[in-house]
Amino acid sequence: MSSYRVRDWVFVGLFGALWGVVETTLGTYLNVIFPSFTNTFFKGVILGSIGVAVALTGRYFIQKRWSVLLIGIITALLKTLSPGGSRIGPIVAILMQSVLMELVLSVAGRPQIWAYILAGALAVGWNFPHKFVMMRVMYGRTIIQVAQKLTQDGSAMLGLDPSMAFWILAGLLVVRMLAGGVAGWGAWALGGAVSERRTHRQQVATE
Amino acid sequence: MKRFSAWGYLTFTVWGLGAGMLVRGWRLAALVAVELLFGLFWNREGLGMLTRWRFWVFVGTAVALGPWLGSRAGLDGADLGAAGLPGWWTGLSLGLEMAARALALMLAFSLGMSALSLSDILAVFDRLHLRGLGFALGVAMNLLATLQEMARTTFETIKLRGGLRRPLAALRLFLVTLVTNTLRYGDQIVNAASVRAFDPSGGRRRSLSLTRADLVLAATLAACAAGCWAL
Repeated sequence: MSSYRVRDWVFVGLFGALWGVVETTLGTYLNVIFPSFTNTFFKGVILGSIGVAVALTGRYFIQKRWSVLLIGIITALLKTLSPGGSRIGPIVAILMQSVLMELVLSVAGRPQIWAYILAGALAVGWNFPHKFVMMRVMYGRTIIQVAQKLTQDGSAMLGLDPSMAFWILAGLLVVRMLAGGVAGWGAWALGGAVSERRTHRQQVATE
Repeated sequence: MKRFSAWGYLTFTVWGLGAGMLVRGWRLAALVAVELLFGLFWNREGLGMLTRWRFWVFVGTAVALGPWLGSRAGLDGADLGAAGLPGWWTGLSLGLEMAARALALMLAFSLGMSALSLSDILAVFDRLHLRGLGFALGVAMNLLATLQEMARTTFETIKLRGGLRRPLAALRLFLVTLVTNTLRYGDQIVNAASVRAFDPSGGRRRSLSLTRADLVLAATLAACAAGCWAL
């Protein structure tokens, strides 16, 4: 990170704050519509997609390795420091999403649209395993064993093949990844539009 | 009342999270008791989550889920290593264990992290040679309210001009305005920092030393872990 200049650190802070704004304002609003103990699917997809789009737009303007991860760390810290914000679940999700985006963008090397789409898809797709991981961490292994037994019983009771459960779960994962891919593509387009606008403004100022 | 330095509270968080994931059964109740005592004596602010009804709904759901899951899955005492116990008791034990684990993890996180101020976190970054990240966090904290206000104003402007009739165009307009204004703020901060010859990698480091209380806390936590392991 020695290559980071003041400008890069400022932009990391700003895009981290922007993601934080989305998490705190929109998150609170969505929590009212979808309480945490009811349906978390839509909440996760909406919040995840917008957050991922913000972080990836940040990467458009900070073309340096680790920048998305750093933006995620700032957002997680803001969430930690916000009143009533010391919640472990969203913080783990934000960090994991930024790790996944950073991995894809680092592997891709120079900025490319497919990398943005893939990074977005993987990051929002993380919402799916996140629930299982957090259930495992928060409740211990017993609930997983019980859930497995329940799935077997449920498939026997409904006369459904256990493979149907697989397709339902796969469908939910695909929807999340599609939303993430759109967010990644949106971030690429947004970065381009803003960049064009800034260039135009600079040209006008120079003239 | 804060008694320890940032290192002490961070140690407590790491210890609490680790123990919360590893221990089972009655040891979880002991862990929750230790954390509650820690909160009562050294960070009452961190216990604030216990006053929220949503938190208790969450814990209550976990407890209630146990007997239901147990009866649905046909568990009996043998599944928990205690043959001869009735099914409902097994389910209740399962629910209580789930709730206690969630409570222990959330308490560890809340009690440790809520005790840290922004300056504590900046000092920790300084000591870890990540001064730039501390600077970025400072920028983010200071501009959070401004960005919130800017987002609200942009949204209201688009709404008052009838932009919401075309939601996709309005969303694009909103995002472009938001990001452009954010970058404009960023340019102003960079200019201000350059004028003051600010260098994130230079300057004097903040001091954040381990205190005797931190060492006593670390030793006590290690003893608790060893005691828990031996029982």
